[in-house]
Amino acid sequence: MRNAWRIIYVFALINTKRFFRNRVAIFFGVLFPLIILFVIGGIFGGGGNASFTTALITQSSTTPATAIATRIERKPDVFKLSKTVRTFAEARSAMAKGTLDATIVVPAGFGASASGSVPSGALVVYYPHANAQEAQALASVLQSELEPLNAPYEPVRPPYTVKTEQTGSRSLTSFDYTFAGLLGFALLGIGIFGPTSVFPELKRQGVLRRLETTPLKIWQYFIATAISQCVVGFVTIVAMFAVSILVFHLHVIGNWFELFAFLTLSVAMILGIGLAIGGWAKDQSQAAPLANIVTFPMLFLSGTFFPRYLMPGWLQVISTYFPLTPVIDGVRMIAAEGRGLSGVASQLGLVLAWAVVIYLIAFRVFRWS
Amino acid sequence: MAQTVLSLTDVTKRYENGTEAVRGVSLDVIEGEIFGILGPNGAGKTTTLEMIETLQTITSGTITLLGINVADDPLAVKKLIGVQPQTPGFQDKTRLSEVLELFAAAYGVKADPMKSLSEVGLADKARCFVEELSGGQRQRFSIAVALVHQPRIFFMDEPTTGLDPQARRNLWELMREVRRRGATVILTTHYMDEARLLCDRVAIMDTGKIIALDAPANLIAALLMRGFKKEQQVEEANLEDVFIDLTGKELRD
Repeated sequence: MRNAWRIIYVFALINTKRFFRNRVAIFFGVLFPLIILFVIGGIFGGGGNASFTTALITQSSTTPATAIATRIERKPDVFKLSKTVRTFAEARSAMAKGTLDATIVVPAGFGASASGSVPSGALVVYYPHANAQEAQALASVLQSELEPLNAPYEPVRPPYTVKTEQTGSRSLTSFDYTFAGLLGFALLGIGIFGPTSVFPELKRQGVLRRLETTPLKIWQYFIATAISQCVVGFVTIVAMFAVSILVFHLHVIGNWFELFAFLTLSVAMILGIGLAIGGWAKDQSQAAPLANIVTFPMLFLSGTFFPRYLMPGWLQVISTYFPLTPVIDGVRMIAAEGRGLSGVASQLGLVLAWAVVIYLIAFRVFRWS
Repeated sequence: MAQTVLSLTDVTKRYENGTEAVRGVSLDVIEGEIFGILGPNGAGKTTTLEMIETLQTITSGTITLLGINVADDPLAVKKLIGVQPQTPGFQDKTRLSEVLELFAAAYGVKADPMKSLSEVGLADKARCFVEELSGGQRQRFSIAVALVHQPRIFFMDEPTTGLDPQARRNLWELMREVRRRGATVILTTHYMDEARLLCDRVAIMDTGKIIALDAPANLIAALLMRGFKKEQQVEEANLEDVFIDLTGKELRD
């Protein structure tokens, strides 16, 4: 048994060195996922909530008009005011183009009072048809902003009100939630598309045929290859975390050690799929289509970019058991929600079960040539 | 009395598609000899070797190697033999010393890459990648790899195909050296001059059967006994002699 581990160690070490001498492999294995990260990260970008931009057009110069305009301008995180749109005509065309989501107008005469009566006025929210819901929300936010202006004229505070409160005191950004899916997407590349070609390439070079003449056992060789691919995968994952933290201000709330442990197991499991396909395939042309068939359902249904709760119920049930789903859920729960390994027990169990199944299949279907 | 190290008894190989590649081959190889298997392409030479090397299943018959039934204990056989395949494949972007370490590990022995490489004249290439070697260097390196665990029986499948005369001669020297160190060598070749020079005994195969088996000198004598006459008088020297005389025996790669 000691000898077996020595074999695995020597093969894993030398094959890892070999990978890092291959510039093409480094590009596709390490840099490519980072490029994807920049593209997708840019789309879901660092911003807090969805980036809903509005313009503020003030057409009245009364004291109440100035007061409400100031209140709105002082809350840039809520209203995200456009700095370029100055007139209502500009706002209209910007909304038509889709570069502006809604316009708040403080109309002429807002805050003026007919002699002796209470000053009044109505803020107007203009919005394109597609933003009806957001406009509703904007209207109610504005309504609450008007409260202090209304207070002197409303002697009695309304007894029944609505209060909203954010759950989870930590300020997580949408990127923090997107990141787990993004990592899952990268794992498909690191674990399936890259490793799928490892064995077919070695078969083409006649390397495996040669190794078959030695007492080397399939499981030893397979595990050694998985370990060296795992090292490669981890370089990519560490780079992804570094970029996400530095550029996209990713917050990792959970314990790094538990996250690392969970990711190690997950990478090893997903890698097993890629290596199993390559180990079975006689050449690249056999491996590539199978890799695609296996990857596509996970790419779309495991919660990489499209939240699973948007799917029909039966599809949610099925996709729960895809190998990548517990990985993405688990990473999200640990990194973004701060759960420990015990908090992701069902995900951990599913990943472990898949790992056992995948490796058992892989050892059986492996062919030296 | 020399010991028999390899014995094939009525061995056949039928592939799944029905092709009979080997049809009832029986032969014995004696310890310390260089044994040649000759024959045209498709005669079943490589299939026969691969069955002995445990790379192919044996359809029927028995192969015994150093007292071990090959079909029963392929792992034990693998530890005792060294294999030089027809086209030696090594992974790219891997140094020669690293390849030797990989194979030593696979056999569970300790590697001494510099010693292995200097035996085949490649000591200065230890840090090169395999893809940087010439054809002849590759063959010599492949031999170094196949000998890393000091096998008792050494198989070479067409080792000199595609090499220049200098590299061929160098490889012959290597094979003799391997034999001097006590290993039995079994090789296949298309070159009759090579078989005549190197082999103690040869088996000639055609369409999956052995059609002759003896020492080269005996086979030639038997042919002459049957009244064979070559059309031309044998030349005192041939073109290869001229070539070697002009270009020297020094290795060129």
